[in-house]
Amino acid sequence: MLKKTLACTIALSALLATGVAMADTKDKKIALSNNYAGNSWRQAMLKSWDKVTKPAVEAGIVAAADPFTTSENQVTEQAAQIQNLILQGYNAIVVNAASPDALNGVIKQACDAGIIVVSFDGIVTEPCAWRIAVDFEKMGASEVEYLAKKMPEGGNLLEIRGLAGVFVDDAISKGINETAAKNAQFKIVGSVHGDWAQEVAQKAVAGILPSLPEIKAVVTQGGDGYGAAQAFAAAGRPTPTIIMGNRQDELQWWKEQKDKNGYETMSVSIAPGVSTLAFWVAQMILDGKEVPKDLTVPFLRIDQDTLEANLATTEKGGVANVEYTADDAAKVVAGK
Amino acid sequence: MIGKLLRQPWVFSFGAAIAVWLATIAYTGGQGAGAILTAAFSFATFTIIVGLGQMMVITTGPGNVDLSIPATITLSGVVAMKVMDEDTGRMVIGIIAALGAATLVGVFNYGLIRLLRIPPIIATLSSSFLVLSAAISYGRGIRIKPPEPLAQFAETQVFGIPIMAFAVLALSIALAMVLSRTVYGRSVLAVGQNSRAAWLAGLNVDRTRFLTYVLSALLAGVCGILLSGFSRGAALNMGEEFLLASIATVVIGGTSVAGGRANVPGIWGAALFMYLLVTMLNTFGASAGIRLILTGLMIIGVIVAAGGEEQR
Repeated sequence: MLKKTLACTIALSALLATGVAMADTKDKKIALSNNYAGNSWRQAMLKSWDKVTKPAVEAGIVAAADPFTTSENQVTEQAAQIQNLILQGYNAIVVNAASPDALNGVIKQACDAGIIVVSFDGIVTEPCAWRIAVDFEKMGASEVEYLAKKMPEGGNLLEIRGLAGVFVDDAISKGINETAAKNAQFKIVGSVHGDWAQEVAQKAVAGILPSLPEIKAVVTQGGDGYGAAQAFAAAGRPTPTIIMGNRQDELQWWKEQKDKNGYETMSVSIAPGVSTLAFWVAQMILDGKEVPKDLTVPFLRIDQDTLEANLATTEKGGVANVEYTADDAAKVVAGK
Repeated sequence: MIGKLLRQPWVFSFGAAIAVWLATIAYTGGQGAGAILTAAFSFATFTIIVGLGQMMVITTGPGNVDLSIPATITLSGVVAMKVMDEDTGRMVIGIIAALGAATLVGVFNYGLIRLLRIPPIIATLSSSFLVLSAAISYGRGIRIKPPEPLAQFAETQVFGIPIMAFAVLALSIALAMVLSRTVYGRSVLAVGQNSRAAWLAGLNVDRTRFLTYVLSALLAGVCGILLSGFSRGAALNMGEEFLLASIATVVIGGTSVAGGRANVPGIWGAALFMYLLVTMLNTFGASAGIRLILTGLMIIGVIVAAGGEEQR
């Protein structure tokens, strides 16, 4: 009897203890400001947000976690949206920004109104905001490093870039080109913009391919590997090693080739679930925890031996993903 | 004879396409000359299909333009792939469903323009948001593969020319005949030249414009189905690049932006030119910034060259 009461008391106080810890954010409202939803990566990002924040709201960790997406990928539209969010009284705004600097004015307004702003993926440079960034340069470099290990003899590379004018494209490309310059056995003989879309990449690669010598490998930015593979097949050229970008169609194609002829490559991209990391970071800041302004998330890499496991958990038409828990976020904040 | 040919506004787009192609193969030393053309015909067909639709809409008079083409391409691609679900037996149902959805978009567009009196540029832009949202919620970013026969139809080539290009050639000829020989086609031209005069002459202006918007949406639907066969799957951003492309091919091809004068061969020349231009600049290794500047300058150049001959 006594034992039971004791156990109950301990359990109850434990519950109370956590209750107290959570109490600080239970009436806080968090908003997601998203600038674009028109591709599979963004769809997965929004889905992850829902999947993680809904239970968090039900459990009373925060009062609300509402996602808002602008229809056109426009700075002015997102600025107006954030202004509305300020007026609606959100305590924190998690933002995937259309531009790293053009939103700084409205971000500053939000900060001045006492709102916590956490940017991720498309980060903002305004000093008052937090940034959860991916080391895109390192991501680009990792592609060439992988190739250097896989084919020490080197050869010609074709580079598929992303959307011109977006800093992510510049950063990944910089990483690729700098590392390729260090590995003299590789030569980038062509570079096209695939806009992170299979159709655009297919079109651009099909156009430049006839004028190129033999290509040993294709370095990409994600969302373009499957289109590149189609273009090589249509031109009747041998399939090079195409670095993939974690999209389900890319992984599926890789798996088919692997089963057929032991095709080897790797796949790397930023997991759309990084939105959930941003959510937990915002919650931690609201909770009064000390969080450094600049955080780095690891990118999600898939290799020959982890392909099947990742393909199995990636839904048709989606992107390989990881969602973050509060504990994961605490680890990232602690720099582990 | 040559003088007469030079007065045709479409000659310039073809001339520009050939010049760009020659410059490309001069740079590569002749390597891949045929393969570049094959690729150009493959990809230009999609632009031609939607360009024809856009041409008809623009021809019906000043202010008429269809900005919902990209969203309609995406919607029909997503609907087709989802209904077919990789099953060859369901191909026909999938095509009907996709074209049905596209037709609805066309009807809706003209409803907004006529019944709610919204200017076409706003009406089709706002309907494109609705259509894209419908595609997103229906497809949820899903990339379902097309049934094998559809993919093969989109990829098969005869002597290096895709059979799809022949089909689109037949479509273009048919459309040119419609424009010059049928009541509907001549009504489109008459309405575009002066809608009030056309109305006073007893033409049904509303019906002509209504049919034209539906035709444009329908062609966008066809493009969506073929494109998802060609690139082996529908994606939410598959239509994006066709907004500017559809309008640019119409303008470069020598169709009057003020309406009333259509030019079918020009669409072909312009679509090939646009594709070969990007290929050339990619081959030269031009950076994205230079590529955009040159693309803009060359488009202006072709329009100026063609436009000078138009003022007869």
